[in-house]
Amino acid sequence: MSEMNNKASKQSPKAKKKFDFLTFVVEHREIPLLAVLALLLIVVTLFIPTYLKDNYVTILRNSSINLVMAAGMLCVLLIGSIDISVAAVLELAAVVAGVLMRGGQVSSILGMFAIGIGIGIIAGLINGTLVSFGRVLPIIVTLGMTYLARGLIPMNFLLGMEKISSIDLVDPFKSFILQPVLGIPLIVYIALAVVLIIGLFLKYTTVGRSIYATGSNPEAAQMRGVKVKWIKVLAHVICGATAGMAGIMRLGFYNAIEKNAATGQEMYVIAACVLGGVSVMGGYGKITGVVVGAILVATIDSAIPQLFTGQTMMTDLFKGLLILAAILLNVLVQRATNKRNLLGRGI
Amino acid sequence: MKQKKICQRLIRWETMLVVLLIVLWVVFDLKDAASQSADIANRKRTIKDVFNLPNMISGIGPYMLYGFMALGMTLILGMGGIDISIGAIGAMSAAVMAVCYGVFKSAMNPSLALVLSAVCCLITGAACGLLNGALITRFRELFPMIITLGTQLLYRGLTYLLIGGKPIQYKDDTVWESLKMLYNGSIKVEYSEKVLKMAKGATEPTESYITSTMSIPNILLWFFAFALIFFVFLHLTKWGRQLFAIGTNREASRLSGVRVANFELIMYMICGITAAISGMFYIGSASGTMRADALKGYEMYAIAAVVLGGFSTNGGTGNIIGVILSMFVFAVMKKGMGTVFLLIENAMDLAVGVVLIVASLLPNILEDISIKRRLHRQHKEAALS
Repeated sequence: MSEMNNKASKQSPKAKKKFDFLTFVVEHREIPLLAVLALLLIVVTLFIPTYLKDNYVTILRNSSINLVMAAGMLCVLLIGSIDISVAAVLELAAVVAGVLMRGGQVSSILGMFAIGIGIGIIAGLINGTLVSFGRVLPIIVTLGMTYLARGLIPMNFLLGMEKISSIDLVDPFKSFILQPVLGIPLIVYIALAVVLIIGLFLKYTTVGRSIYATGSNPEAAQMRGVKVKWIKVLAHVICGATAGMAGIMRLGFYNAIEKNAATGQEMYVIAACVLGGVSVMGGYGKITGVVVGAILVATIDSAIPQLFTGQTMMTDLFKGLLILAAILLNVLVQRATNKRNLLGRGI
Repeated sequence: MKQKKICQRLIRWETMLVVLLIVLWVVFDLKDAASQSADIANRKRTIKDVFNLPNMISGIGPYMLYGFMALGMTLILGMGGIDISIGAIGAMSAAVMAVCYGVFKSAMNPSLALVLSAVCCLITGAACGLLNGALITRFRELFPMIITLGTQLLYRGLTYLLIGGKPIQYKDDTVWESLKMLYNGSIKVEYSEKVLKMAKGATEPTESYITSTMSIPNILLWFFAFALIFFVFLHLTKWGRQLFAIGTNREASRLSGVRVANFELIMYMICGITAAISGMFYIGSASGTMRADALKGYEMYAIAAVVLGGFSTNGGTGNIIGVILSMFVFAVMKKGMGTVFLLIENAMDLAVGVVLIVASLLPNILEDISIKRRLHRQHKEAALS
C-alpha cells in the first residue's frame, strides 16, 4: 500500500523536483534510527568523553551474534511470519556441537559450524513445514519449537550433555572467534559476511525477491508463479540456519553454554528488526535497517549501565521506550504520508 | 443421526483433553506402581506411592500461578489479539504492591495497609492493561504482539527501576506473611493411605493403612472461583458473544453495533488485572519475597495453556472448560514427570512442545480430511447423477 502511494507521488512532476521529507523518511526508515543512534552516542560522549573510543569494539562484538540472528529473522518477518524459537535453537545447536567436541567427534572449526547450521536447518524445516503446509500460526509453532529445543538440551541419557564449559572445547575453535584481525575480532567479520550474503540474496536474486512478494501479497505472488509455500519454508530454514550459526558463534565467544543461557534473546532479535523498520505484517524491511537496529540495541546495552552506574537492568526500560517510539512514529509518519498523497490526488 | 452426534461429541476438544488427562494419569500411575514394586524388590524402606490424587492436589499450587493469566488471556485470544506483556505486568504490579506496603505500613494499621496495597496492585495491573489496549486500538496497523513486546520491556524496566536488583521482603511481618495464606492451604482433609511395608525376612510386603491429611491449596479454590466468573462471562452473557464475534469478524461486529475499540480496551484492562492477581499470588508462593525478575516467561506458559485449551490465536473459538482442563493437563504432566520419571523440567519441556504443536496441528488436519471427504462424496454424487 505504502509503496504504491510513494510511487504515485514520485511519478507526479511536483514531487519529483521537491525534496519530500515525509516520503524520504517512509522509504528510508533506517535514517531516523541512525539519528537516534547518533544522539545516544553524543549524549553518552558528553558525560563520558572517552566512551566511543573505549567501547566501539565491544559494541560491534556484542551486536554481532544478535545481528546474525536478526538477518535470519528479517527473512521470516518479510513473509509475514515470526520465529520466537531462535534463542532455544541457538542453545541446542551450541550444546550439541559442544558435546560432540567434548566427545572428540569434531575438532575442526568448519565441522562445528556445519553441525550448528545443520541443527538450525532441521529446526527451521520443521517450523516452516508446520507453518506453510500445516497452516498453524507461526507464533504457536515456534513456541512449541522453543519448548522442544529446550527439552532436548539436557537429555543426559542420550548424549550426556548438561553444560558445556571451557574445558570441553579444543583450542583452534576456542580462540578462533575472538582472534583480532586488523584490531577487530573475527566474529564481527563473520556477522558482516552473513549480513552481506543475506542482503544480496534478498535484493538481487529471484528467490529473494519472491520472499518480498510472498510477504506483501501471497495471492498475487502465487498468480505470478511464485511457489509461496516453499518460499515460506525456505525463509524459516534461513532463520533456523542463522540461529544455529549464532549458537556456534556464542559458544566460541563465551566458551560456555548451558540450558536457558539465551532466554529472552529472541525478543531482542525481534526488537532489532522492528527498530530497523521491518514491518511485522510482511513485505517491507531492509537489511541496512536491521544492522542499525542491532547496533542500537548493543549500544543501549553497553551505554546505559555506564551512564547510570551499575543499573544494568535499566536497559530493558530504554529498549521498550525506543521500540514503542519507533513503531508508533513509523505508523504516524505513514499515516501523514498517505493522507497527503490522497489530498494531492484530490480525494 | 444419533451416531453422528456421538461422533461430534467425541471430536470436541474438551473430550480429547479429558482423554489426554486420563491417559497421562494412567501412565504415571502404572510407572509409579512399577517403580514401587522395583523398590520393594530391592528391599528398600517403607514405600508410599508418590503419584496419587491427594499428593497431586496439595502440590498443585505452583502450576496454578499462571492460571489467572491464562483466564485473562482467553479474552485476548478470543478476540484474535495477543498480549505477551502479562508476565511483566504481573511482576510490576507485585512490585508496586510490595513498595506500597512498605510506605503505608508506617502510616497506618498494617492490615489496612495490606488491603490498600493490594488495591494499588490491581490498579497498576489495570493501568498497564489500559496502556496496552489504548496503543493496540489506536494503532491498528501494528500487530498486538509487537506493541506488547515493547510494553513488556518497558514494564520490566520499570519494575527494576522500582525495586532494583535486590529482592524485597518484610521479615517477621505477620500481616505481610498472610499473603502466604492466600496461596497455601487452609482446608485440611483426612484420608487413609495404603502403605507397603517389607518386614525383615518376609518375601511378601504387608499392606497397612495410615491416615494422612491433605491440604487443598487456596489458590486452587480461587482459580475455580475465577474460572466460574470467566465461564459465565464468556459463554452466558451477551458480552461473551460479542467477544467471539469480534474474534470472528471485527469489521462485521463493528457494523452490527458493537463498540469494538472500547470493548477491546476493557478486555486488555481485565487481562492486566488478572496478571496483577497472578503477581499477588506469586508473592505468596515465594513466601513473601518479591524479585524484579519474577514471573519471567509466564506469558508463554499462559498462552500455551490457552492454546492447548482449544482457543485459536485467530480468535473466535474456544471454551473456558478446555482451558481449565489444559491447566490440569500441564499440572499433571509437570508433577508426574518430576516425581515419577525424575526428569523435572527436561522431558516436561519436550512434552509441552509436542503437545502444543500437535494440538494446533490436529484441528487443521481434521478439517482437511473432512473437506476432502466432502469433495469426494460430491464427486461421487455428480458421477452417479
